Amino acid sequence: MSKHRVTATVNGDAVEFLCETGETLLEALRDELQLTGTKEGCGTGDCGACSVMLDGRLVCSCLVLGVEAQGKTIETVEGMAKGDELHPLQRKFLEHAALQCGICTPGMLISARALLERNPDPTEEEVRYWLAGNLCRCTGYHKIVEAVLDAAREMRGA
Amino acid sequence: MILFDFDYERADTLEQAVALLARLQGDARALAGGTDLLPGMRMENIRPGLLVSLSGIEPEAPQVLADGSIRIDALTRLATLENSELVRRVVPMLAQSAHVVGGNQIRQMGTLGGNLCQEVRCLHLDQKHDYQFVAPCYKRGGTCCYPFPRNAPEVCWSVYMSDIAPALIALNAQVEILGETGTRRIDVEALFTGNGLKPLALSQAELLRAVLIPAAAPGFTWGFHKSTVRGGLEFGMAVLAVALQLAEDGRTCTDARIVVGAVREGPVRPVAAERSLIGKTLDEERMEQAAADTSRVVNPLPHHGFSKRHLMDNIRVHLRRTLARALQRARDQEAGR
Ligand SMILES: Cc1cc2nc3c(=O)[nH]c(=O)nc-3n(C[C@@H](O)[C@@H](O)[C@H](O)COP(=O)(O)OP(=O)(O)OC[C@H]3O[C@@H](n4cnc5c(N)ncnc54)[C@H](O)[C@@H]3O)c2cc1C
Ligand code: SF4
Ligand code: FES
Ligand code: FES
Repeated sequence: MSKHRVTATVNGDAVEFLCETGETLLEALRDELQLTGTKEGCGTGDCGACSVMLDGRLVCSCLVLGVEAQGKTIETVEGMAKGDELHPLQRKFLEHAALQCGICTPGMLISARALLERNPDPTEEEVRYWLAGNLCRCTGYHKIVEAVLDAAREMRGA
Repeated sequence: MILFDFDYERADTLEQAVALLARLQGDARALAGGTDLLPGMRMENIRPGLLVSLSGIEPEAPQVLADGSIRIDALTRLATLENSELVRRVVPMLAQSAHVVGGNQIRQMGTLGGNLCQEVRCLHLDQKHDYQFVAPCYKRGGTCCYPFPRNAPEVCWSVYMSDIAPALIALNAQVEILGETGTRRIDVEALFTGNGLKPLALSQAELLRAVLIPAAAPGFTWGFHKSTVRGGLEFGMAVLAVALQLAEDGRTCTDARIVVGAVREGPVRPVAAERSLIGKTLDEERMEQAAADTSRVVNPLPHHGFSKRHLMDNIRVHLRRTLARALQRARDQEAGR
């Protein structure tokens, strides 16, 4: 299997890595760039734990080949906080105890941020439908939905 | 990680992609959003020697042509279809069918062409095979079928689960196909062979370039329903798409197209049931009868844990409601709501 040299922008930084043809973006992030915030749940697009932003699109990084990231802009959970200051969604997830094991959390956060960027004032139903691609086996979703709605309220300044 | 060896090329144009695919014939695949192909490669149901990436080709925006028909690039992402103001206004059924596909991650990455060309599904097929130590089924080049062992040899009852194909067939859409010798145009309906082993009537070096949907005539109305358990991120139990043409009285049907998806090797049109509606007043009884006839002739394959009996009931009930909703939509429009 041949190796490819890939250059991309990850969380604002220019990066360069080598990856095999069969390697996914998820594996490139975790194993080549040591950005282990993004998780693997299923590897087949079902769970959303591996969600990242790729050129502004919310994608499952397990369904993208590493070589496909060439020249693209990637945002992962590591880029959400500004230094020590958590993103409002991260803070609300803690306040509402919207996580237990935490495996789904990075994907939930990335996915929820993508929602709030498009729709700063979503209804509960809109939050639930938007997050349908992010599975959680622990929380029962309720606290996650509450945290997202609360973060949306705060971010609107309401 | 995909564990077998394959090559990767990036195409700058669709023509270039076709030329690259033609070079390797049967062993090469186009990679659009990858949301169907990569899981299939990971399970090693598909083992291409070459992937030709289309991700560097920018799709054209959906456009209305001079004759009122709408043309949509095959590389258009499902999220674009779902949210495009033009698509929602001119072909709302298409926007609706894109909206119900998978989850957001799948819709933001998945493309229209990839959706139509997605693999058929089967509970046996869609799992890792390498640690199961069982012989491959027909679909994987073997000599048996696990869920349907009594079938004749070489009969694969896998199910084609696109949500968008039924809507497009109901809308009488066509696809433009680019091959080595140029483009051809066929009805979306003609894309499907009805054979689970080779569900699509495309050669390896042919790619979908665009979908063309004719303009709606006055009196057109539609209904669409994806029957699900959870209501998000799941394949349909059955997918129903209905396009009706109504006379000026708003009740007499002058043309009908009914499509049932996600229950056979390709979408199915119950032509006799369609005909039973034409020239008739659409009352409760007539719609009920058409729905019952449809559930019989479609003859759903048991899939993903749903029995044939259950799917027949499901189709009957939901098709009746979908027809009724199409009528209601026409009335609402008439009333300016
Ligand atoms: C978790 C999950 C849930 C899903 N849920 C649904 C669902 O509810 N409903 C549904 O309909 N689908 C669903 N899908 C299937 C989903 O993959 C497709 O809907 C998606 O649109 C495929 O598009 P793609 O661009 O990613 O295709 P790809 O994976 O890139 O391609 C799929 C196939 O089409 C071929 N192809 C791609 N583009 C073209 C073209 N232009 N011309 C010819 N051949 C082409 C490829 O070679 C490949 O064989 C789901 C998938 C996942 C992983
Ligand atoms: S239905 Fe088709 S895919 Fe499923 S086990 Fe039988 S031959 Fe294989
Ligand atoms: S690991 Fe990518 S969707 Fe589950
Ligand atoms: S917190 Fe455990 S999967 Fe969501």
